[in-house]
Amino acid sequence: MRAFELVTARDSRHAVALLAEHGPSVKILAGGTDLLVELKAASNVPQVIVDISRAEDLKAIAITDEGLSIGALVTHTEIMRSPRIREMFPALVDAAHTIGAVQTRNLGTLGGNLVTGVPSMDSGPTLIALDALVTIAAPTGRRQMPLAGFFVGPRKTILKPSELLVEIVIPRQNLGKPAHFLKSGLRKGQALALVNVAASLWVDWDKHVFVAPRIALGAVAPTIIRAARAEAYLEGCAITPEAMAEAGRIAVGDAKPISDFRASADYRRDLIAVLTKRTLENAYAQAKSKRDKEA
Amino acid sequence: MANVTINVNGETRTASVPPETTLLKLLREIFNLTGAKLGCDVGDCGACTVIVDGKPVNACLMLAGQVDGRDVLTIEGLADMDRLHPIQKAFEERASLQCGFCGPGVILSAKALLDEIPDPTAQEIRDALAGNLCRCTGYTKMIEAVQDAARILRDGPENKTV
Repeated sequence: MRAFELVTARDSRHAVALLAEHGPSVKILAGGTDLLVELKAASNVPQVIVDISRAEDLKAIAITDEGLSIGALVTHTEIMRSPRIREMFPALVDAAHTIGAVQTRNLGTLGGNLVTGVPSMDSGPTLIALDALVTIAAPTGRRQMPLAGFFVGPRKTILKPSELLVEIVIPRQNLGKPAHFLKSGLRKGQALALVNVAASLWVDWDKHVFVAPRIALGAVAPTIIRAARAEAYLEGCAITPEAMAEAGRIAVGDAKPISDFRASADYRRDLIAVLTKRTLENAYAQAKSKRDKEA
Repeated sequence: MANVTINVNGETRTASVPPETTLLKLLREIFNLTGAKLGCDVGDCGACTVIVDGKPVNACLMLAGQVDGRDVLTIEGLADMDRLHPIQKAFEERASLQCGFCGPGVILSAKALLDEIPDPTAQEIRDALAGNLCRCTGYTKMIEAVQDAARILRDGPENKTV
């Protein structure tokens, strides 16, 4: 690796000050599972790296007035082990489990996975299907926006060099919303997604129809996308296996998959239809079992 | 330069290294602990696995400065000159390694697993070793060895059924 200066941030406020101090070429080090790989291969490295891995205020998982708050530095392992997340959102646990392997999950952070912004990331779809918000700290203060608008292209987010992703929030009205995540990779371990899909839904049990269905697709467009037409089809639609299969077919048209060395676009289209149907089925099964438990 | 003080295998060690030094380089080239191997150097192969504050990590993906003040366990900290650790013994008895390059990483991943789950299922073992690539063995004998070691660590050596 080429030489750089490493400055350590005590907390998020200090990190934002350091980013402003060291100018636009500065890079942020969190879990390091992407950044160090990138720096080792780079012919030019930034002069200064801001190490935020010791910023304790970014490591909490908490229920707040806003909903479920997950600090940007929470690791994939910590998501998998959080009793609160396991109970409310098993889909987030499943998604975290498919990332890398134990060693990289112990280092890699939720915020890092989102900020790196690769279209096949496994953290994004479930969060987007749950209408998650991100909190961004800038020198001028903090702002919040939907995660769905955070990604602007492959490996590109809306963040400016002086800004820091500090928190991911699942809004209060979605706490416990039934959701499911599925990924298809070429191997069982350490595989990148050919396609990954997350779905969330509420059920109106009197009418037995879908309410607020959300479908997010990964690795099939320049960013993670919502399958908007499939969602519109399902809203208020009677819950049947045929409706879920039809939503899968519609979702294919919402995506723009490419062919690459991992899979052809045609294969990815087939995967979108199948995985969308299955995530809907599984999210519905979860809704049913929650209702049975409460009854 | 970054001043780094870490507790390695129970011993406090200090070094002053350039900031871009990885934990792996610190261990191998400054502390002469060459058990952790330099394999892919990008976090895929797991040959550099060490345990930091109880968790297995890729030493190639951490900067030495990030480990300042923490506890690091390497394969050198597992056995002494007289006695192998039960996991190492089980790997020997099952002939679980061939070339052995992946061995230190595999054994430390297994140790971290057994410290947390004393009676893992085969699936849990596979999941724990998924970040350690071995091109010789096909993993089957490693999984058997971890099961043996789990039994020995739970029940003591007299009950082993090798």
